[in-house]
Amino acid sequence: MNHGRIDGYAPIADYGAVGDGRTVALIARDGAIDWLCVPDLDSASVFGALLDSERGGRFVLEPEAGYETTRRYLPGTNVLETTFTTAAGVVRVTDAMTLPAAGLSPYRELVRRIDGLAGEVPMRWRVESRFGYASADTRIEHRAGVPVATAGRDALAVCSFGAGEATTSDGAIAGRFSTRTGGAELLVLSAAHQEPLVLPARREVEARLEATRGAWRRWSDGRKYAGPWPDAVLRSALALKLLVYAPSGAIAAAATTSLPEEIGADRNWDYRYSWPRDSAFTLEALLALGCAPEAYAFFSWLLHASQLTHPRLQVLYRLDGRPEAEERSLSLTGYRRSHPARVGNGAAGQTQLDVYGEVLGAAAKFADFSGGLDRDQGRRLAEIADHICGIWEQPDAGIWELRGEPRHFTQSKMMCAVALRRACELAERGLLPRKHVERWRDEEARIRAFVDTRCYSQRKGSYVRSAGEEELDSALLLAVLAEYDEPDSSHMLGTVDAVRRELARGPLVYRWADEPGAFLTCSFWLAEAFARQGRLEQAAALMDELVGLANDVGLYAEEFHAETGEFLGNFPQGLTHLALINAAVAYTRASER
Amino acid sequence: MIWGAIVGGLAGTVVLTTILRAASELGVTRMDIPFLLGTAVTADRVHAKAIGYALHFVFGLIFALAYYAIFRVIGRSGFLLGAGFGLVHALFAGSALVNILLPVVHPRMGTTFDAAGSAPLLEPPGFLLVNYGRQTLLATLLAHVAYGAIVGGFVSLAG
Repeated sequence: MNHGRIDGYAPIADYGAVGDGRTVALIARDGAIDWLCVPDLDSASVFGALLDSERGGRFVLEPEAGYETTRRYLPGTNVLETTFTTAAGVVRVTDAMTLPAAGLSPYRELVRRIDGLAGEVPMRWRVESRFGYASADTRIEHRAGVPVATAGRDALAVCSFGAGEATTSDGAIAGRFSTRTGGAELLVLSAAHQEPLVLPARREVEARLEATRGAWRRWSDGRKYAGPWPDAVLRSALALKLLVYAPSGAIAAAATTSLPEEIGADRNWDYRYSWPRDSAFTLEALLALGCAPEAYAFFSWLLHASQLTHPRLQVLYRLDGRPEAEERSLSLTGYRRSHPARVGNGAAGQTQLDVYGEVLGAAAKFADFSGGLDRDQGRRLAEIADHICGIWEQPDAGIWELRGEPRHFTQSKMMCAVALRRACELAERGLLPRKHVERWRDEEARIRAFVDTRCYSQRKGSYVRSAGEEELDSALLLAVLAEYDEPDSSHMLGTVDAVRRELARGPLVYRWADEPGAFLTCSFWLAEAFARQGRLEQAAALMDELVGLANDVGLYAEEFHAETGEFLGNFPQGLTHLALINAAVAYTRASER
Repeated sequence: MIWGAIVGGLAGTVVLTTILRAASELGVTRMDIPFLLGTAVTADRVHAKAIGYALHFVFGLIFALAYYAIFRVIGRSGFLLGAGFGLVHALFAGSALVNILLPVVHPRMGTTFDAAGSAPLLEPPGFLLVNYGRQTLLATLLAHVAYGAIVGGFVSLAG
């Protein structure tokens, strides 16, 4: 299990993801499941080797002898297929988290089907269950002959169907078997939370696996996209679907916590929350691809979650809609000793003014799609617009959630202006109360005056990062995407050119000048800005390069290190995939014009 | 007096369910009585929970009437006596009722003789319910003592 690993850690780009709309498992190229939280995406991990190779827990499944691997997702699905080629033969492992089907299915179920394709290949597997981020007292017992790991209210059964007799030692459940040409074995993890375990039967597991493939394919067949880079767009849609927390409709920013933005450093954050800031991008992508049910669910969740803090919008909310996100450090060592490994996210307490622009933008898109807003939604959005009038003059932490002294970030102010513009437009359509429209217009004008006089550099011909400074910030690209101004206005053209000149290295765009890793989302934002400005050749060339940066199964992390070629940050990263979809859609629309 | 048993049975079942649910939320146990009862009737999880809650209240009433019959026979009632009944009830449930009888009548529950075969199996509870967590018995005792005290108290008040 040392394939490309450093100190037991696989490169982030080596992971594929499978999920069931409630949680996600990350599977390395060598077949090890290094990350799984149960029962939900934001629950504690039972496999946390991603953040502590020695103590975190994992599920190893691999040939006993040396091997090479190739991987793919089954077309149109989130079912991952890893093919191991050894000197003795070839084995294919199909991994999926099954979707609930008729009959008594486990609370959560992860299926690993092993098919012998050629020769006879000795295989070994080992399940190290470490509940509670490896802090819970885990016991291994047997139920009806099945080995079970339990800790408090959680339990995990390891069912082997033809994959060797399970033995237990050193806190692990393990087995060995040989697979021959035409053979098919199954290893199944059945998880229970606050209820007795369901020990599945082989026939039903196979039926659920088949039904899961079918369900993903049907979902993919329903996507509407007829532009360039179709495979990348569909894979991004499927990656996003993995991050949709089905019980509430919230969309997690990523499936992991604490994958570092810089190896060995402390910028390690928990992304298993939903950011209202991403709402406009999300709705745009979902609606463009014909995901109407997901768009409805997400917008409803957004308004529901923000009810407790109304009219203030919190930076992030839990997937179940609660506002608490208390940050603490785990006793895990962190990915490649990038310490601390954190859960919770202190950014929840920050002020980030740009959120308001994105949420009002999302509301406008939702109203366009659905034909309107209900009276209560309109009233609440109007109260949010009133709130913006009272707070836009404050400094904030900005879109990048910097933990230093608050500043007057240009993009934050711009998004406040966008928010008030959208509120006025919605009021003119009769969807928001009109009582305060004049005030919203006046404040929007004041914000624009502030941005144009304090946040624009004549020398650079560009907007700048914050009032009174000369540094750039690639978040300024969002001014084009959010339609702060006409995309081909001189200020917008100048800003996009300046960002490309100062913050881009080839296809990679950095958030600011001295950042170690390029922020992949910003690269896609640049491509979308080019498309919106009619610079289609530049947009297409950039997209071609960016699509080539995905890992072997089409997934992206948050950042990309230009020198090492490594992915950095949490994975798979929803914002990157959203940005890819929106850039492709913007290019397609611009081409059609 | 019998109305006291009926009201006490309903109120006692509410409290018993609440205590076990709280214990589950606190990570003390994976015991879920409505799920266990409901999956005896249907394999559909959502329906199983709903049916299980209904069955649980029916059984709560039946046990309250059994308590009432004993109170009548011995000519005494009260919350302390009811609490004692609840204690015995819990021990009976943990050692025989749920551990031995339920797996026999439950079509989806595993026994020590089963291995995963053609049908899915529900994890059996084990002696004193320890399979669902070491402290399950404590939570069950507490819940049943509360149930018994409430039934005994209501019967006494109604009498």
